Amino acid sequence: MIDGRLTRYSLWQFRDFVIDRGISIMIIGILWGYLLIEPVRHSMGGAFAMIPESPTWMILMTITSSVVSLAVLIALNGLVSTDRKMGYYRFIFSKPISPVAFYAQLFVVYMVGVLVAMLILALMLKHFVPGFSVANFLLYSALIYIAMGGIGFFISVATRFDWLTLAAVWLGSHMLRTLYGAKPGLAGKLVQLLPPVHKLDAVANELITYRRADASDTVWLLGYGLGFFALGLLLLKKGQLAD
Amino acid sequence: MDGLSATGKHNGTSSVVIDFSNVGKTYRSLLGNSVKAVEEFSLQIVDGEVLGIAGPNGAGKSTLIAMMLGYLRSTTGSITINGLPPRAYVERNGIGYLSELIAINPRWRAETALIRYATLAGLPSDQIRTRVGEVIERLGLEGHRDKKIKALSKGNLQRIGLAQVLLRNEQILVLDEPTHGLDPVWTQKFREIVAGLKRPDRTILIASHNLDELQRLADRVVIIDNGRLQRIVTTGYEQGGAVTTRFRLTLAGGFDRVREVFALVEETGRGEYDVTVGSVKELNIALADLIAKGGLVASVVPERSVLEQQFREAVGESR
Repeated sequence: MIDGRLTRYSLWQFRDFVIDRGISIMIIGILWGYLLIEPVRHSMGGAFAMIPESPTWMILMTITSSVVSLAVLIALNGLVSTDRKMGYYRFIFSKPISPVAFYAQLFVVYMVGVLVAMLILALMLKHFVPGFSVANFLLYSALIYIAMGGIGFFISVATRFDWLTLAAVWLGSHMLRTLYGAKPGLAGKLVQLLPPVHKLDAVANELITYRRADASDTVWLLGYGLGFFALGLLLLKKGQLAD
Repeated sequence: MDGLSATGKHNGTSSVVIDFSNVGKTYRSLLGNSVKAVEEFSLQIVDGEVLGIAGPNGAGKSTLIAMMLGYLRSTTGSITINGLPPRAYVERNGIGYLSELIAINPRWRAETALIRYATLAGLPSDQIRTRVGEVIERLGLEGHRDKKIKALSKGNLQRIGLAQVLLRNEQILVLDEPTHGLDPVWTQKFREIVAGLKRPDRTILIASHNLDELQRLADRVVIIDNGRLQRIVTTGYEQGGAVTTRFRLTLAGGFDRVREVFALVEETGRGEYDVTVGSVKELNIALADLIAKGGLVASVVPERSVLEQQFREAVGESR
């Protein structure tokens, strides 16, 4: 009688993603892309072309990596914390449902949602940039979702201010790695424990431009994200739903 | 009145469903401050029982319920439901839970919210719409099914809350302030619905400030204050035992006989008297005597219910 209830509920979760987050992601992605590409296209006229290693390609890289990062931030915002903050968990988890399974499924469903949004944006982009690899862009999006999203998931379980905290962790890691990453001594070693955000640009460029990525960078990013995702699930299992 | 007998045994066949054993809950802040919300709480609730939980604001009722549903972990002691830890029980079987604060995503519509809950409750796909339609009709929500949750009044929201409890035939129901925010008509209907939910294999917990409601619905009522179990009261006068109770007696005739049969009498109006007796049995003997002597009894109304009296004593004692 109760088999497959969570699987059936995934359709509702996907619907929530589309209404609450997908539309915003699409609007931001289209506007961002248009605002950055259109002036360049307009000024270059017939000479407009985005080919690897050209200055215009760098603009493309900036757009794609920013849009994916923002999409993940929007998708992950309040993934767990909103239900706890608003008290929605009370009715949901009085049903025969495991919070661990519920939120693990939500994480996966939202990943599918982000990838669908990125697919639509990539197909639109391909119209202007024929050499753009949609498949590799989706691979990159999936990688960022897991790397950044895994940390975001953990933060959403652990705190109520997940969006802000994730943004701070992400940007803070970028800054600290830039400042201390190459320095010898303790500071240089400690920053290596921070999220591997410094690898994102390289992985984005490799995957989207050259259609391959360094295996160790990819594993490091995936491992970091999946590790935090697992920690988030453990915290859900061992912690309390109510405050 | 049972004093502090913590086990509910109606008959020899009742079995313990929910077992609180020396449960305590302390909230600790990051600064190291701590507040004891529940202390040394022990209670056994059997199948078929309707248990009321009464207590003033901040007494620990909601904390107890949150621990029972596995939303909070107890700091000391243990809670088991049919032998399982609360969360394990809920994840396996579910509990029909109406929370004091009805928190449903405000963007959901009333009917789709119930369809979602029915899906999570594990109702078969082909039965969900039928079942949701039934509970909507039962709770008079037909005119609100397409409204967003944020557009519903407090009373209608409360009805949605009870509707989601009724979706599935749970063995355990927990109703926290079930009639909060309802108008008198729906308060009465709610009580009828809740009374109709009673069955031998179901355990029902009702937390309420409304002692009259608990008196009507519950078999026993636990009175808690300052996080501690103060008293367990068996509702109903038939088991009243020795408790001093005041009744408002109204007579249509034979006024001069009242003082002959009641030792403690106070005249409060024409034909109206407040009489104090030691038990319901004593009251009945005195009334029979009064009638035999020509008294014409128009009404006998307790000044306070047994529960209200016990509540006042228990909460007063703990302060």
